[in-house]
Amino acid sequence: MITIERVSKRFGKTAAVDDVSLDIPAGDSVALWGTNGAGKTTLIRCVLGLLRFRGRVRVGGFDVRTRGKPARRLIGYVPQELGFYDDLGVAAAVRYFARLRAVDGVEVEKVLASVGLEGHGGKRIRELSGGMKQRLALGIALLGDPPVLVLDEVTASLDACGREAFIALLSGLAGSGKSLLFASHRVDEVTALARRVVLLEKGRVTGEVSPQDLGVRLGAQTVLHITLHDRVRGRAIDVLRARGFPARLNGVGVLVPVPAVQKVAPLRILAEERIDIEDFELLGASTHEEHRP
Amino acid sequence: MTTITAGLSSGMRLRVPTLSANVLSVALRELREAVRSRWFLLYTLGFAALGLGVSYASSASAGGAGLSGFGRTTAGLVNLVLLVVPLMALTAGAGTIASDRERGMLVYLLSQPVSRLEVLLGKYVGLGAALLACICLGLGSCAGILAWKGDATRPLSMVWLAGLSFGLALGMLSVGMLASVLARKASVAVGTAIFLWLALVFVSDLALMAGTMALKLRIEELLAMALVNPLQVFKMWSLHAIDSSLDVLGPAGLYAVDEYGGRLHLIFGACLMAWVVAPLALAAAVFSRRAPV
Amino acid sequence: MFVVLTMLLALTGPASVQEGMAPPSAPALSDGPVNTGRLGAMIREAAPGAVVLVPAGVYREHLRIDKPLTLIAEPGAVIDGGGSGDIVEIAAPDVTFRGFVVCHTGIDLDRENAAIRVLAPRATIEGNTLEDILFGIDLREAPDSVVRGNRVGGKVLDIARRGDGLRLWRADRTLVEGNTVHDGRDAVLWYSTGITVRGNRSVRCRYGLHLMYSDEVTIEDNVLTENSVGIYLMYSRGVMVRRNQLVRNRGPSGYGLGLKETDRFTVEHNLIHGNRVGVYLDGSPFTDAQPGVFTRNTIALNDVGITFLPAVRGNRLSANNFIDNIEQVSIAGRGELKGNQFWDGDVGNFWTDYVGYDKDRDGVGDFVHESRTLFENLMDREPKLRLLLFSPTQQAIEFVGRAMPAIRPEPKFVDEVPLMRPVAVEVGAGGAPSAVGLGAASAGILGVGVFVLSVGLSGRLAAGLRGKSGRGGGA
Repeated sequence: MITIERVSKRFGKTAAVDDVSLDIPAGDSVALWGTNGAGKTTLIRCVLGLLRFRGRVRVGGFDVRTRGKPARRLIGYVPQELGFYDDLGVAAAVRYFARLRAVDGVEVEKVLASVGLEGHGGKRIRELSGGMKQRLALGIALLGDPPVLVLDEVTASLDACGREAFIALLSGLAGSGKSLLFASHRVDEVTALARRVVLLEKGRVTGEVSPQDLGVRLGAQTVLHITLHDRVRGRAIDVLRARGFPARLNGVGVLVPVPAVQKVAPLRILAEERIDIEDFELLGASTHEEHRP
Repeated sequence: MTTITAGLSSGMRLRVPTLSANVLSVALRELREAVRSRWFLLYTLGFAALGLGVSYASSASAGGAGLSGFGRTTAGLVNLVLLVVPLMALTAGAGTIASDRERGMLVYLLSQPVSRLEVLLGKYVGLGAALLACICLGLGSCAGILAWKGDATRPLSMVWLAGLSFGLALGMLSVGMLASVLARKASVAVGTAIFLWLALVFVSDLALMAGTMALKLRIEELLAMALVNPLQVFKMWSLHAIDSSLDVLGPAGLYAVDEYGGRLHLIFGACLMAWVVAPLALAAAVFSRRAPV
Repeated sequence: MFVVLTMLLALTGPASVQEGMAPPSAPALSDGPVNTGRLGAMIREAAPGAVVLVPAGVYREHLRIDKPLTLIAEPGAVIDGGGSGDIVEIAAPDVTFRGFVVCHTGIDLDRENAAIRVLAPRATIEGNTLEDILFGIDLREAPDSVVRGNRVGGKVLDIARRGDGLRLWRADRTLVEGNTVHDGRDAVLWYSTGITVRGNRSVRCRYGLHLMYSDEVTIEDNVLTENSVGIYLMYSRGVMVRRNQLVRNRGPSGYGLGLKETDRFTVEHNLIHGNRVGVYLDGSPFTDAQPGVFTRNTIALNDVGITFLPAVRGNRLSANNFIDNIEQVSIAGRGELKGNQFWDGDVGNFWTDYVGYDKDRDGVGDFVHESRTLFENLMDREPKLRLLLFSPTQQAIEFVGRAMPAIRPEPKFVDEVPLMRPVAVEVGAGGAPSAVGLGAASAGILGVGVFVLSVGLSGRLAAGLRGKSGRGGGA
């Protein structure tokens, strides 16, 4: 459904995307995995025909450079953050994009209901929360039932709650026969949605793995929250850092990201240093910078 | 509308919107945004207030005497249009694309099945309609007060003035949009527009004056140089159309009428048209090559 | 009724003028029996001093009247020159020629083909209609004549090929009254002393009235519209110009009233409106025997109200209304107006561009009216700059000139006692506009508007600078 052939894109001297080839058959779901600046967003913009690049991208057989309109008609795109007229009403926005996508007979309430926004049609975009905005963007992307969905870090600006709801919404779509191409640096997202994970580094494809292997490859991490008395927190952080754990102050204790196989190590270290541990708990994957590959 | 089926699973047929449909959609959106914006309102009010002032003052002075002629009414309104309309159109054009790009709206809009030409033309048409509304409101209120004061100004001359103002606005809108497409930031684009406004309103006239006084420009040279400035073209055309002569403009005006006579309408029209078409075409060329971010 | 009609004529466009004065069509004149030589025979047979009633009919002849006769046409009597030569020549004194239609002279400018040529004193030319003629009524050495109530329509030719609708040459004490001339060259009055020109109309001619070397002349109640020049007085002495309407005379020179080396003149109660130049003064007054007097005229909506050539001095202007002329007073080229006075005693003029006020309510502005605008100053020096009129640059330059004393020009003239209200002028309907302190009012309104605009502009700029924070780019 999407064929990316030897695509390169340079911004000045830096190569944002460097000779990337990728084929996404109908119904497949591909995650682009990489750090900020790895070229995920640039590649997606090439696929959308928003940038000029070397190489070729075809969507449903249409070259995005010469037949951009029909190519994009096949794509539903959700950006990281919906950038649009803030004052526009939600229903009006849906109708507007339905016109642009040449989709007739749109029932706005149904579209909104399909992304859990029933009853919000009268609001202005400005009045929506981040999660609701993303759901609106998804609703718009699904107008006219396009065979391809392209998502660019769609949960990056959402809180944990909004993220879970959004991923749940998307996972329903992943199995529906649509082709998915999405950029992410979140394990939970990738695990839930992707069949294949393409690893990007400095604009180049460095490998392809299954979502399950991604966890192993990264040495799936978890976070230890250790509750400490405030007198000892500073010293605990110093001690942990000295032993290679990037501990940070958090509320009544410290947060310590740890590889899954070393969950006990920080507790042992603190015990050795005779720092009283009041309590501890394990948190799942987090939004913290340390967890990004 | 064309229907595409290529590369899709059987039974799935998607329509691609036509150029005119998309231009219309974007134009309507832009028009609504413009009409809702505070600046548009302020410009319209300012324009109408100034126009009313000019009309009231001039009809109070000459109308009472039962005298008509090329007096302060027409001169004042022409003068007012020269000051306000280019500023309005230049800043409107300059503000549109650059600020959309800055706020990420452009990426989102262009990820839809629309071409860049459609977006550019749509914005042009929408803003043009907004400017037309502003001009009609402004000059319409002037016509109203003139009629109320019993001024002998012919309705046809107001129609001429409005039409030519609109022509001038379209030309300046083109220039503004070119600035907007070229500039990286909205503030730069608007700044450039204001600079251009100053240049067209004051600097070029001052240069013409200096040239006439110091270099002893010949009449035909002075006229040719004046025709380069769309504001002067508007002014001469208005006087020519309303007063059916240019002799109020002294030797150069007499020369223009003697030399070109009936062809003057064509010449003025061509000059103004060039200001509409050339910057817009250039803007379209630049816009189609520039990244929307 | 006449005043109303002429006002209408003055205020409506050329279209309606044409309608009112369309020449009778040539075929109509040729209808009916054609008589050749019959009118000549009637004149030959008549005794000197006889009254000859000429019956209706077309007389295709060229006449010479060589004895005192009174020729009175019955309605429908047409003398048709057939397009050649002169038509009627009056060679004897005391001839009265009344009520004829005279048409179709030749077009020989060198021979000055005329409809009616008078070569003897005391002729009365009255109530005739002259159509398709080169020269109309041409009085040569014909003093004490009366030319009254004739309609003269010239051949619609290129101006260089037209003849004079009316010409006086050494015709002292002649009365020219109630005539209408259209599409002629000039109505020109040469070397004629003591003549009166009253209540005539002239449309679409070159010079509506042209005085050459004629002294003690009264020109009053005439309506001169859409000529190249309304009235041009040259080399004459003792001229009274009053109650005339000089409207839309916009030829290449386009003066409402021009005066060249004319002495002892009074110009009063005239309406001078919509001309290229309302009044043009060249070497007038010619001597300092008596000031040139301009009083109670309305000079309105001309491109230039009054133009003075640089050396002009000795005029006294008072109680005139200067209304919305694009340039109220100009000096052609460099020069000053010190030798002229814009007030008389404690009466100045009414200026629509006066910006002062009248606190003590005595009808006279509390500040003198000084005209010193930088742009006008530049325009006087370089007329080509008129091309830049009505542009914001003009105001900017004038503003700068006002704000910066260093480049402020010397005042062109000063009216020490400007009037706050316009003066009643006898001519025309509603000659008194009702404006009070207009300059100040319009300046105030403009100021408010500019303020609103600049607030809007700065807001816009701020929005642009703030970038993402709002939809600054809306309009």
